[in-house]
Amino acid sequence: MNKEINIELLKLAGFEGSELDAFLPDWLMAVEKVGLTDDDIEYAATEYIPKNWDVQYRGVRKMIGAYFREMVEAAKTTQYKAEGKKIIYGILPAVATIYNAMKVSAGDDLYVSFPDLMLVTILNGFFDKADPFLYEAEEKGFTYGCRHCPLNKMRVGAYTKGLIAIPDVIWSWGFNCDEGPKTDEMIKHLLNEDWNYVVSRIPHDTYYGESDDEIEERVQYLGKVLKEGLDEIEEITGIKISEENFKKAMDENNRLAFKIGQLVGLVCKADPLPMGGNALTQFQQVLTVPFNSGTGYMEEAIDIMTKEVREAIKEKKGVLPEGAPRIGSYFVPFCIPWVDRMFRENGVGTTFSQTLTPSSKQLKAPRYKDNMYLATAEQWLKMPLGQNMGYEVASMVEKVNAYQPDGMLMGFFDFDRWLGAHQKMAAKLVEEETGVPHYYMESDFWDDRDYSEEALRTRIESVSQILKMKKEMAAV
Amino acid sequence: MKEIMKELDRLSKQRVSELQKAKKSGKLVIQYTGNFIPEEMIKAAGAEPYLMCRGGEPEPPDAVLEDMLRFMNPLARSMAGFNELGLDPVTPISDLIVMQQTDCHVGRISELFEFQELPVWKIGVPSEWKKEIAFEYYVRSLEKFKEKLEEMTGNPLDKEVFKNELEKTNKLHEALRKIDSLRKKENPPIGLTEFIRLNHYSFTVDKDIMTEKLNELYDKLKDAPGKFNENSPKILFCGRALAIGDYTVPRLLEESGGVIVSDFMDEGIRPYRNDYTINEDPLLSFAKTAYLERPPINIFQPAWEDRFEYMKGLIKDYDVDGVVWYQLSFDEIYDMEYTVLAKWMGELNIPIIKMESSYEYSREAMGPLTTRIESFVESLKGAYENE
Repeated sequence: MNKEINIELLKLAGFEGSELDAFLPDWLMAVEKVGLTDDDIEYAATEYIPKNWDVQYRGVRKMIGAYFREMVEAAKTTQYKAEGKKIIYGILPAVATIYNAMKVSAGDDLYVSFPDLMLVTILNGFFDKADPFLYEAEEKGFTYGCRHCPLNKMRVGAYTKGLIAIPDVIWSWGFNCDEGPKTDEMIKHLLNEDWNYVVSRIPHDTYYGESDDEIEERVQYLGKVLKEGLDEIEEITGIKISEENFKKAMDENNRLAFKIGQLVGLVCKADPLPMGGNALTQFQQVLTVPFNSGTGYMEEAIDIMTKEVREAIKEKKGVLPEGAPRIGSYFVPFCIPWVDRMFRENGVGTTFSQTLTPSSKQLKAPRYKDNMYLATAEQWLKMPLGQNMGYEVASMVEKVNAYQPDGMLMGFFDFDRWLGAHQKMAAKLVEEETGVPHYYMESDFWDDRDYSEEALRTRIESVSQILKMKKEMAAV
Repeated sequence: MKEIMKELDRLSKQRVSELQKAKKSGKLVIQYTGNFIPEEMIKAAGAEPYLMCRGGEPEPPDAVLEDMLRFMNPLARSMAGFNELGLDPVTPISDLIVMQQTDCHVGRISELFEFQELPVWKIGVPSEWKKEIAFEYYVRSLEKFKEKLEEMTGNPLDKEVFKNELEKTNKLHEALRKIDSLRKKENPPIGLTEFIRLNHYSFTVDKDIMTEKLNELYDKLKDAPGKFNENSPKILFCGRALAIGDYTVPRLLEESGGVIVSDFMDEGIRPYRNDYTINEDPLLSFAKTAYLERPPINIFQPAWEDRFEYMKGLIKDYDVDGVVWYQLSFDEIYDMEYTVLAKWMGELNIPIIKMESSYEYSREAMGPLTTRIESFVESLKGAYENE
């Protein structure tokens, strides 16, 4: 293994000095376990990351570094297991607070994260190399042609290839999709009967435009579902979350949400655009996924990034010239980061993601702060992507009006029968309400094996052309 | 049998005009999906129920693609697609479309109906069926539906009529079970091609008449000679649903020399193996049987182990030689269950094959489909002869 090229990559990811020296052995172990070759590392360090990410900013590099730490953590799960530490997995989408509260409660005796999400994010986002795990899952029975979710495939692939350990328990939130929790039933029966899972779900049975979080009966029910789930987890792992620890996690979440909100606001309202949507969205992900290495590294990255963005705004520096059109997204596809780059090459900047940018309602003080189950239920029911289409559309309209993009990019969730199914309708509704044109592209957020750069190039070029023309015409 | 089938077909086709007449006379027309919504309760409210479960044609699923992801299963897309194409005479006159919220396919199609400003009602069916709070949620969902019906009709729901309707359903189930029992014969006088149609007719023909006709048919068939060639391999047919109109695959299987002696599907067929245990509260009676007593549907969790045990019972009772897993394209959870099931069936040395359908039965699609079916049946015959 070429140590030098790995050091070069880690330096690109914001590591330096003694921190780098201390991290390097673990990193090399993880690289080997994940199956990244020297060529892969070199490609990432010299081409893929510099080309697709705004690495001129230290904040972005530090953010990448925080994710690299999570790759190491995922790769260490087998070691943790051998050491007798508890392992709890979860799946997306979820509210990270409750998982973070587990970490606050158990500290280093616990690994808690969503390893499938972390691994796809890191391997495809920074190395373009998640494929071996996805192929592995397809060989094991996650058939290629049925359009299954790459995250669930990664869970199967990473486990069967020995990258991640069997957890003490995985808490599968099936509040959005059906496939996530069912994947655990599949793993249990197909691969290992000891695969323990706890499923928490609620039917999608509210009506267009109802506010799920304001339906008291729904909040109470979900609170009970979450309590039952947590009770099972406590029974399996012995980890109990106190209200005090939950509050600590909640405070941390609120602090991060505030900081991220500030960063998104700064970026989206600045002209020229100081940074692209890939990195912006990656920063936001810390609110929905627990980081086993803690949120400190991400928080540091966010603080640095915010400072750098302020400086860029002051100096009128941007990734595109002033006045360039910008496009918001349902979810900026950061795991196929070339989409962002391709837009930029065509003179259009990507900005915010509908999914991870909090709505004004999400930023309001919770009603149930003294009961962690109800507080988590409320947090979830305020998350627009999990609720009925009308509720989500209202929040989308609010964000489009707030950030005034020239266009919106929809799609990229063709594998998801919840998040992907309604997007064409939502696009029409938001467009009608805001006047901002929406463009739908059938594609896959996590995995570009079916939708290559060449396949999407024409569509991206056309959309960019239209946006530029519209902008020019509006200026006349 | 032909005469009875013909008569039932005629009666079934009258249903739409009956609904139109009922509507004109001021009655409510209520469509519903799946087996978790009590048609008996709709009847007890004085409204006319109609099952929404048409499929088997390629154009309707494509008709919704302007507003819907193409990777939704074709049955869910057909629900809205027939209406989109103007081929659905019932949806435009429906006062309510009641949809069981079991999975994302039907969940988002419900939203497509809402998007089209059609009157939708949702019945929440939590998948964690072994948890008490989930059952309570389902019951509460049915209670809300009852309240909605009462609000729409302006009358309190008649419990006695509800119970009566459940009893009628039990009698219908019994009649279906009798016919089903004939499929256990060495050479059955009836296959799935007819049995599924009988089920489909039973959703549209008056229940008393249907039960009478089924009993009549049983009397005719009980001593009738077998319909198939001697020693035809016996098949268990499983999957989400054979929709009304989707008869190609069972027909091909039976024309190719197989005999489908048993079935296990989640929708589009009467849950005829389970009767309602009727007590003072018919709503609760329905809920218990539908949610707790029947084998769990694919999306319930955990379900697959229970379902496999159930299938093993069918394989033994009906002396099954092979299993056909009939899967709707892009139906991801059924696809996953198949993977597990194929492993388990392999351990039992029971041959299993997955047949996937997008409702595309063009000449080009039929060739490979027929070849697969024939090969499977031939392989079962080979195994049978070797025994």
